[in-house]
Amino acid sequence: MMPIPSPIEADTDSRREFLRNILAGTATATVLMVFGPGAMALSDPTRRTKNKAKHQFAYVININNCIGCGNCVRACNKENNVPASVFRTWVERYVVTDEGVYVESPNGGLKGFEAVNKKLRQNFKKSFTVPKMCNHCEDPPCVQVCPVGATFKTEEGFVLVDHAHCLGCAYCVQACPYAARYIDPIKHVSDKCDWCYHRVKNGKLPACVTVCPNKARLFGDLKDPESEVTKIFKEDQWMVLKPHMHTDPTCFYIGLPREVV
Amino acid sequence: MSGPSSTSHLYRLGIVLVAFFVAAVLVGWWAVPSSWNFDVDHWYRKDALIDNAQKPMVYGGNESCKDCHEPAMKKLAKFKHRALSCESCHGPVADHVRGNKKFAAAKVDKSRWQCENCHQEQINRPKDFPQFSKTGDIGKFVKKHNLLEKKTLCLECHNAHDPTN
Repeated sequence: MMPIPSPIEADTDSRREFLRNILAGTATATVLMVFGPGAMALSDPTRRTKNKAKHQFAYVININNCIGCGNCVRACNKENNVPASVFRTWVERYVVTDEGVYVESPNGGLKGFEAVNKKLRQNFKKSFTVPKMCNHCEDPPCVQVCPVGATFKTEEGFVLVDHAHCLGCAYCVQACPYAARYIDPIKHVSDKCDWCYHRVKNGKLPACVTVCPNKARLFGDLKDPESEVTKIFKEDQWMVLKPHMHTDPTCFYIGLPREVV
Repeated sequence: MSGPSSTSHLYRLGIVLVAFFVAAVLVGWWAVPSSWNFDVDHWYRKDALIDNAQKPMVYGGNESCKDCHEPAMKKLAKFKHRALSCESCHGPVADHVRGNKKFAAAKVDKSRWQCENCHQEQINRPKDFPQFSKTGDIGKFVKKHNLLEKKTLCLECHNAHDPTN
């Protein structure tokens, strides 16, 4: 005669098994998260250099060097024939006071900045200018939302627009957390900073980098150990804009104050 | 008496599916650009790269001035403003040279704005950056000689390429 298993014993066995499985799963997940392939995903810019492309371009903006002259905005507008009222790159001025943070960007900083008014000048804590542009994200939301594949990430790190296929639906303009995109009021297609793709392909630097008088803007190849951007990652602290959006920008900031959004 | 075949509905369904498949292939062939890159991480029309690279360049960088202005550039190497871009004051090279030939004089904006744009005292500039302060020694000098009211240009006394000499 077969012994009848006690229902209580059977229950204990499955509970043990359950707990054992939970423990094994947790341990495996922890090991994978710490040492697995995605472990360094958001913290290491050099991981970009592990793909097969010949170049991997990156952009660095040094806030400590920016004097807010607007040379970059003027050069960008001329180089890319940017229509009035929209900007591919612009400069914001932050004035931090006891009462709050004042941000302005008169005409994108195209004509530089007027002196800060007397009231703010008397009780400001700090003030600085922040150049902004397309961040050429590693995981770009604009590319995800494009219904026709007209905006895309190239193997070399550029986020570009295929003007011949863009519908001008402006999904990408809404999706960009950095407000870097606009609908061209003349061509009625989406456009934005392309790191001067036409210049870089001809061995030149982007126009804004070319004219910057104080080396606040740097551009280079992360795969070239001698390039300026690579050296900066070896030495300095760097930041990206809106890291909580998980877009993983390839436009890195140095000396970015915490007030900047 | 024989009713409808017990498998005929399956044949009909099969025909519909095949028709759908053929339609999908045809629409894909018609709608997907011929140079499409089928890499899921980089989903784009390859010819768009060529289109994007074809835009004419406007700024040439300082190296583009060297071909014609080599002696002037050599002299500049010792000057304070040596690291600046020539084109930010003299205008882009595309407005000056076309097809290796000068077609228009490079225009220089000699107004005071051109200097003040970088050197007017502003609270947002780095502290160690040279700035023209109305309250400093230079400011007092300027005030004494009424230079601001007379609309005297900075360049009447300063050399734009080497302003501290």
